[in-house]
Amino acid sequence: MTQTGMTVEHQDVLNFVLKQSPFNELPIASAHYFVNHAEVIYLTVHNQADALQDEEKYLYLVRTGIFDLVDTTGEVVTRLSAGDYFGYPSLLTGEEIKNRLEVQSPGLILLLPQAGFDFLRHEYKVFEQHFVRAHKKRLLSSHYQERGKGWSERKISKLMTKSAVVLEPTASIVEAAKVMQSEGVSSVMITEGGQLHGVVTDRDLRNRVLASELDPAMPVSSIMTPEPKFIFENNRVFSALHLMLKHNIHHLPVLNEERVPLGMVTSTDLLRLQNSDPVQLIGQLYKASSAQELKLLAKEIPVLLRSFSNTVEDISFVGTLLSGLTDALMSRLTELFVKQHGDAPCSFCWICFGSQAREEQTLDSDQDNGLIFANDIKPAERAYFASLGTFVTRHLVECGIRACPGNIMASNEQCRGTVREWTARFEKWMTAPTPQAMLNCKIFFDRRFICGDQSLYQSLNSQLGEISQQELFFAAMATDISTNSVPIGLFQQFKLQRGKDKHKYLDLKTRGIAIVNDLVRIYALKSGITKANTQARLKALEAHTQLSQSDIYNLQDCWRFLTQLRLRSQIEQHQLPSNCINPESLSSLERHQLKEAFHLIKQAQQACVFKFARGSL
Amino acid sequence: MRWKFPWFFKHGAARELWLDSELVVLDLELTGLDPTQHEIVSAAWVIIRRGRIVLAESRYLINRSVKSLAQSPVYHGIDDAQLAKGVDIKVIMREFAEALEGRVLVCHHTALDWAFIKKSFAALGIATRPNQMIDTLKIEKSRLLRQHQQVIQDQLRLPACRERYGLPDYQNHNALSDALATAELLLAQVNHLGSEKHVKLSALV
Repeated sequence: MTQTGMTVEHQDVLNFVLKQSPFNELPIASAHYFVNHAEVIYLTVHNQADALQDEEKYLYLVRTGIFDLVDTTGEVVTRLSAGDYFGYPSLLTGEEIKNRLEVQSPGLILLLPQAGFDFLRHEYKVFEQHFVRAHKKRLLSSHYQERGKGWSERKISKLMTKSAVVLEPTASIVEAAKVMQSEGVSSVMITEGGQLHGVVTDRDLRNRVLASELDPAMPVSSIMTPEPKFIFENNRVFSALHLMLKHNIHHLPVLNEERVPLGMVTSTDLLRLQNSDPVQLIGQLYKASSAQELKLLAKEIPVLLRSFSNTVEDISFVGTLLSGLTDALMSRLTELFVKQHGDAPCSFCWICFGSQAREEQTLDSDQDNGLIFANDIKPAERAYFASLGTFVTRHLVECGIRACPGNIMASNEQCRGTVREWTARFEKWMTAPTPQAMLNCKIFFDRRFICGDQSLYQSLNSQLGEISQQELFFAAMATDISTNSVPIGLFQQFKLQRGKDKHKYLDLKTRGIAIVNDLVRIYALKSGITKANTQARLKALEAHTQLSQSDIYNLQDCWRFLTQLRLRSQIEQHQLPSNCINPESLSSLERHQLKEAFHLIKQAQQACVFKFARGSL
Repeated sequence: MRWKFPWFFKHGAARELWLDSELVVLDLELTGLDPTQHEIVSAAWVIIRRGRIVLAESRYLINRSVKSLAQSPVYHGIDDAQLAKGVDIKVIMREFAEALEGRVLVCHHTALDWAFIKKSFAALGIATRPNQMIDTLKIEKSRLLRQHQQVIQDQLRLPACRERYGLPDYQNHNALSDALATAELLLAQVNHLGSEKHVKLSALV
């Protein structure tokens, strides 16, 4: 062709391609290339049978119209509309296309031949990633790809300053104290055959030796904390922080892959890091001498969270942190109550439910807590726990954690009880699944121990494990889950809600994250998993056969993606109700991902109903 | 049945299947509607092969030798500065003649565009003729007449026709976007007739 004249540029087609992911993230030359190598077809019911039947392979991009991609069994794989691609699995794998198209509404499709697709794949990494991910149905995972590393993302090994100080279990307490003095450390690891057995800290020397008048010639094994928590050298600082907050420990042994101790990380080490205000605050909370002081400290929490959420890559950690802070407040308030009113008449422990238990608390979350006490409590002793419950929950409100509108708080008699009483409550909900009981199950089946006598909590769990697994209960739960639908319409479009001020929005929490939580809960219950955190439950489900590995991945991806969007919406607040976003404020990739997430949730819901509620619907 | 026809019938262009023909979809920007006194400002064409628009083979050329734009920039937006970047009308016509060779010509209102081309070809001594001519406006008009008693002229304008097939709005208006818009309209018209495998050119001309 002659080279005269101006460059031909189909501006409108180009503009359309430029708006689509991955081209919106690529140099403009990539979209030019696409347009200059594309062909255009118009698809109706008349020629739908011929589409995808070409000898040559193409990448298809829908410009207008609506098409169903149907597999060999006649099942609709996905509904395609403007901006959606298809045909790439065949381009990536070289396999023949088995799916066919059904035209719902005729329209234009852009076709890029294999050679063009391969060129863009080799030229632009983002292009390749986009389609490889889409092919693996893991579009969502891009959100936690590795990026710049904040302090909390650093490896533990970078933080350890001293090598391991170790002793045999047979060494005496005096020897331990001497080694700690000469090495200038506040803790030693007790090892046998190179493997970690326990930890002794200077606090143990004070509390378990001096204060208890123990003979210092005794072996250290008698005062060590056996089977201590530890962390691997390759873990991130953030995981160490998490463990320390969760278990209120200040020394964390660091092991290598072979579980050989390498050193110790202390909360002081973390304090030395820039921005580690959370550790500092948690330490202050544990030392506060009055409820008034706690209240003042708690005022810093919102500020801290905002600055913290900018420094962590995995934003879901913000929920963990807030739950950790709430735990610390409750523990300290309990200690303050005991100081004022004397020791409890019998053993007891605090438990929490709902978002605090799942460790996905936000600044808007309300309290969900309760008290368990020993079965042998005398009627007169109950008054003590009534006032403890009231004291702690009232001060939590003053610290900024809202009272529970459903009154699930230890100040309510229904949220206090012996192990036996709690078991009876659960049994009642599980055997007579009324709508109210289902609601209770959603809240109370996410539970976590906070402080006090942990054996009470464990005994409750084992009692609950013995309640026979009622088919009817699971069917009712599955049915209940299916009544909540994802906000995706018939044509794969977002179904938006409209607020008072006419803003359109999507509720990510109740119509996304909550459904994932519900789904994961039912599988976790069925598998006898007692963890409350959704991510931890999914991890634990890998060892069971209830869900396939890819289902687990999908739910994990959905949960993380939606949680990130949700927390970002809380930080960026665009005059929308909390936990809500306007999809138009998202990038094209994020909109794709959000649709994909909702789509996956919908599939999981259907699978869940099929599994648990077959025949009862 | 085909064997019953003499060979020249089989090879008659109008009996050809639409999928087997190559088409060139043309749009011209003009200084006015009268081929005897007005001029071509720009020409653009896109190619349809096997029922597909091949974007890479599109051409868009501006006529540097326009004598008088007069009031026409109101319609096509091409001013003297852009004309200066163009090529001579001879170059445009020779290139178009090359593109037209052995192909079917498609326009939205073919009579007008072809009148201008024919005149320019004559002036340059070009004898190339299209195999067939298709008019998307005519196709649309007869389709609408089959459904309604009468058709208002406005219903036959390119954007109005496209809208009926759910084709997107074009933001840019020039010969190139109109040529592509016409080509897309033709694809839509053909594929609403039935399976395009069996659509013959004769159904379109």
